[in-house]
Amino acid sequence: MREELIWLDDEAPRRPSAVQAALAFLGALALLFLATLRGLVWGRKEWRETLHQMAFIGVTSVPIVVLTSAFTGAVITLYSASLLVRVGGASFVGGATGLALARELAPILTGIMVTARCGSAIAAQLGTMKITEQIDALRALAVSPIQYLVVPRLIAGLVMFPLLGTVANLAGVLGGAVVTSAFDIGLSTYLRSIQLFVEPFDFLGGLIKTVAFAMIIIMVSCQQGLGARGGAAGVGHATMRAVVLSMVLVFAANYFLADALFAKR
Amino acid sequence: MNTPYAIRVHDLVYQVDGKPILKGVPFHACSGEIVGIMGASGSGKTTLLKCIAGLLRPTSGEIWIEEINIVPLSERAKMPLRLRLGIVFQYAALFDFLTVYENIAFGLERHRKLPRSAIDRVVQERLAWVGLEGTESLYPSQLSGGMRKRVGLARALALDPRMVLFDEPTSGLDPANAYQIDRLIRRLNRELGLTAVVVSHDVNSLFRTTDRIVVLDEGQVVAEGTPEAIRQSDHPKIQAFLRMASAETLDE
Repeated sequence: MREELIWLDDEAPRRPSAVQAALAFLGALALLFLATLRGLVWGRKEWRETLHQMAFIGVTSVPIVVLTSAFTGAVITLYSASLLVRVGGASFVGGATGLALARELAPILTGIMVTARCGSAIAAQLGTMKITEQIDALRALAVSPIQYLVVPRLIAGLVMFPLLGTVANLAGVLGGAVVTSAFDIGLSTYLRSIQLFVEPFDFLGGLIKTVAFAMIIIMVSCQQGLGARGGAAGVGHATMRAVVLSMVLVFAANYFLADALFAKR
Repeated sequence: MNTPYAIRVHDLVYQVDGKPILKGVPFHACSGEIVGIMGASGSGKTTLLKCIAGLLRPTSGEIWIEEINIVPLSERAKMPLRLRLGIVFQYAALFDFLTVYENIAFGLERHRKLPRSAIDRVVQERLAWVGLEGTESLYPSQLSGGMRKRVGLARALALDPRMVLFDEPTSGLDPANAYQIDRLIRRLNRELGLTAVVVSHDVNSLFRTTDRIVVLDEGQVVAEGTPEAIRQSDHPKIQAFLRMASAETLDE
């Protein structure tokens, strides 16, 4: 496998057509993913860098995930309560919020927030390292950039995304609970409704989604960063592409995962 | 096999997008020799250096690092060979999220099974070689350009390479700093027997540091010889280059 194709893009045509560009992107992403898997299984693990990335991707993302999920949980409860209370369905409100959060909103919000926060930062950092020859310096010191930079980020993403998804679920439920008081729905009714309608698999399926999103976001951001060229504009371009491509792929994957996990339930 | 050549390059071609950057370049460096690669910007000298370092894959040709041709090798197969080569990058390319100590210890921690005390000793020693004792805890952003290059050199020397490739070691430095770097290259060559390849457009620096100079122009070798022979060369391009490099005032 031509591993250096991932960061040596000199052989690519300067003005590729849309099809060429899409194929080149998918090819580079697949190569990087395979090389990362190999590094994940057989390579030397950079535990210090992995812990650092876990803190960055996971711990420091908690506030933004909590805030966005709490408000989203609140607004879903607002809509569902205003509708359901009118038809005497107050006991369904918690279920509606819980299901929406567990299956869709918590995973997708985690994906969006981490893409915006960490995907962009990963692409910018790796892109800057590429154009300032730090990637070459790693290679010159006989250290694989994939092993040192990509594998720790992927491990961190795979571990922290489900945890963030869980935090998003809790925050969303809490946000919804605050709103229920305005509709005279008791907290116990709200929580019992969640218990009744949300099955463990709804929650688990949502977490499976976050694992898939972690893979997409980390791999796309690393690939775009390592493929950056030019100067500051090149890094900006790579960062923008990392965010746009990650988001599009996350939403596409979300549909197919929803179909696979929940459509028959 | 014992070869007097540390580096040998045959007929090296490097193309980007079908545009030739190197057009069949020959090159060699004997063990313990300091070879300069001189040329204007865009002449292909950094590309040649990066091909020798195995960081770029040439379109065709051969690059022998001691007894091994690295051109057909995969990225992973090239890894052990890279330990024989140290590279000092044009802008030092220090890892900006690591301290000076961590930069120099980076290769040691990954390729040598040494206790912490031994790593400490190597880092201190390399910093002493480049005259930067006491800077261990600083980050690259806290260093001047000349200091960064010297840390880059200390990092390249940490793994005891047999040869060191320098990409524009004096560019962007004031004359005092440039002179210091040149003396350092000479001293390391004398004391450690290092083979050095120095890519530069700084004519004065090359004349005072190297044993032999190869002149590149538009991806081709146009002259080769001792610094004195290059200085005396009547090749029009070399004469023009030397004239411009040494011009002190602009002729209006």
